[in-house]
Amino acid sequence: MAAPRSNREFVEACVKSGDAVRIKQEVDWENEAGAIVRRACELAAPAPFMEKIKDYPGFSYFGAPLSTYRRMAISMGMDPNASLPEIGKEYVKRTNGEPIAPVLVDRKDAPCKENILKGKDVDLCKLPIPLVHDGDGGRYVGTWHAVVTKHPVRGDVNWGMYRQMMFDSRTMSGAVFPFSDLGKALNDYYLPRGESCPFATAIGLSPLAAMAACAPSPIPEPELTGMLAGEPVKLVKCETNDLEVPADAEIILEGEICPDYKVEEGPFGEYTGYRTSPRDFRVTFRVNCITYRNNATMTISNMGVPQDEGQLLRSFSLGLELEKLLKSQGIPVTGVYMHPRSTHHMMIVGVKPTYSGVAQQIGQLAFGSKLGPWFHMVMVVDDQTDIYNWDEVYHAFCTRCHPENGIHIYRNSPGTPLYPFATPHERKFSIGSKVVFDCLWPTDWDRINDVPTLVSFKNVYPKDVQEKVMSNWTAYGYPAVK
Amino acid sequence: MNQWEVYVNSEKELAEDTDLELTIRTLNPGLHKYTYKRVKCQVSSDLKKYADQLQVRLGRGQLSASRFSIKVLGEIQRMPAKYA
Ligand SMILES: Cc1cc2nc3c(=O)[nH]c(=O)nc-3n(C[C@H](O)[C@H](O)[C@H](O)COP(=O)(O)O)c2cc1C
Repeated sequence: MAAPRSNREFVEACVKSGDAVRIKQEVDWENEAGAIVRRACELAAPAPFMEKIKDYPGFSYFGAPLSTYRRMAISMGMDPNASLPEIGKEYVKRTNGEPIAPVLVDRKDAPCKENILKGKDVDLCKLPIPLVHDGDGGRYVGTWHAVVTKHPVRGDVNWGMYRQMMFDSRTMSGAVFPFSDLGKALNDYYLPRGESCPFATAIGLSPLAAMAACAPSPIPEPELTGMLAGEPVKLVKCETNDLEVPADAEIILEGEICPDYKVEEGPFGEYTGYRTSPRDFRVTFRVNCITYRNNATMTISNMGVPQDEGQLLRSFSLGLELEKLLKSQGIPVTGVYMHPRSTHHMMIVGVKPTYSGVAQQIGQLAFGSKLGPWFHMVMVVDDQTDIYNWDEVYHAFCTRCHPENGIHIYRNSPGTPLYPFATPHERKFSIGSKVVFDCLWPTDWDRINDVPTLVSFKNVYPKDVQEKVMSNWTAYGYPAVK
Repeated sequence: MNQWEVYVNSEKELAEDTDLELTIRTLNPGLHKYTYKRVKCQVSSDLKKYADQLQVRLGRGQLSASRFSIKVLGEIQRMPAKYA
């Protein structure tokens, strides 16, 4: 099965496999669509494809695009039943290959140019921008999208998923964190010079382009999308600036980020499951041009309690990118996983504990990397513990992590303004603090006499006894175990 | 009658019958619902005092039980003219 090349192909594939439902009755853009997406996330139900939106004939919504591992497998062209480790292995294989450069197509071959609004015609309210959660500070244009910019000096292209709220018909305000690629370009270059930064927001991307836009990978996102898809992504030139955008995106907003004009943004329902960050003056985007496909579909991610793509997809890519980083440093890791229910706050790392201090080494690398601001707990377990099995990890944590020797705290590190536990001051200045839970038996303990023996069916009985018990299980009168 | 909404951290920010600068959003039905303006205005807890109605939300989006009437005296342009 080939990876879907566009959001449209993805919707079709999901409907076909039962992973999306077509909703034919009219849905209100104000709260109702958001509530459908939220409920679908909380029930891990098929993604809603809403074909009729109140006040906006001709437009549709696709919600919760990647909030299940099944849809993630479909987006990668894999069997929807593929297991999480299988999807992870495939992600690592594809993203370790050669970058695949994008290709530029002519405007006439770019569906995103089917409708063009410029000048006085530019009005964001012509698009079905949803009120995602009741009480949000505004209607959010960008919840599942990519903000496209180019570094002013190095020239490298950045696609980042940074939320964007409609402030008025031509203005959006967004949360671009200072440690993100765009945040750094703005703070290093544009803001001190008072220069405006050209941007384009692409909404309704192919699922792999969206995955790339929120992956914490050092590879530029157009190349990363090509690697994930196994073929180049098609780009087209913007109408009003020099940027290039995915040609098959559903909606494109072109404009400039204003260095000298700020409007309020938020509050908004966030991936931690709360509204944490306050209403504040953030980054202001002025829209100069809108282009969109006929019958355009707006994509919606509704963040809140687990699980939506804010947790599922980000846990997936943060974990795998950390695994690549640790392996590149020669650390004997056996796997890295974040349970989405941790709202990507806890990294669980499996390691062969062959030398002392390895848990701290892992923690320091993890927290010191580009990925670091997004999580504050690293739990290190040995290679006998199944990192995907929370019961095993929790048991290891509660029994092996020494309250004094096994818990290591790092203060004054980068954090996000969204951490619910952080103090108001820490949130305002993106200050974090971090903790490593070392759940390894110390290497200086005697293996025979000091390290306790794990008492489990798998660990204490001879193989032949285990096999006998398993093969006689139903004969003993128990139901079969799957 | 127009319907407006404002976000405040504390209702103390809504001093009555004095000129205020607020960022308010329209709740009038239609395509432009929830778009914002920065305005000079006066508010009153007497709902009949001014022609328009104002509803209040607190810092994390909680809807306050307090209601106000509001008179918009004029729009304040914060945006530099070059972006118009
Ligand atoms: C649904 C969703 C919404 C996100 N919103 C934001 C946001 O508002 N601001 C932000 O800085 N990062 C946000 N992120 C995380 C970034 O997309 C992610 O860190 C990405 O890698 C940014 O790229 P960069 O760090 O390479 O700039 C969001 C991720 C997802 C999945």
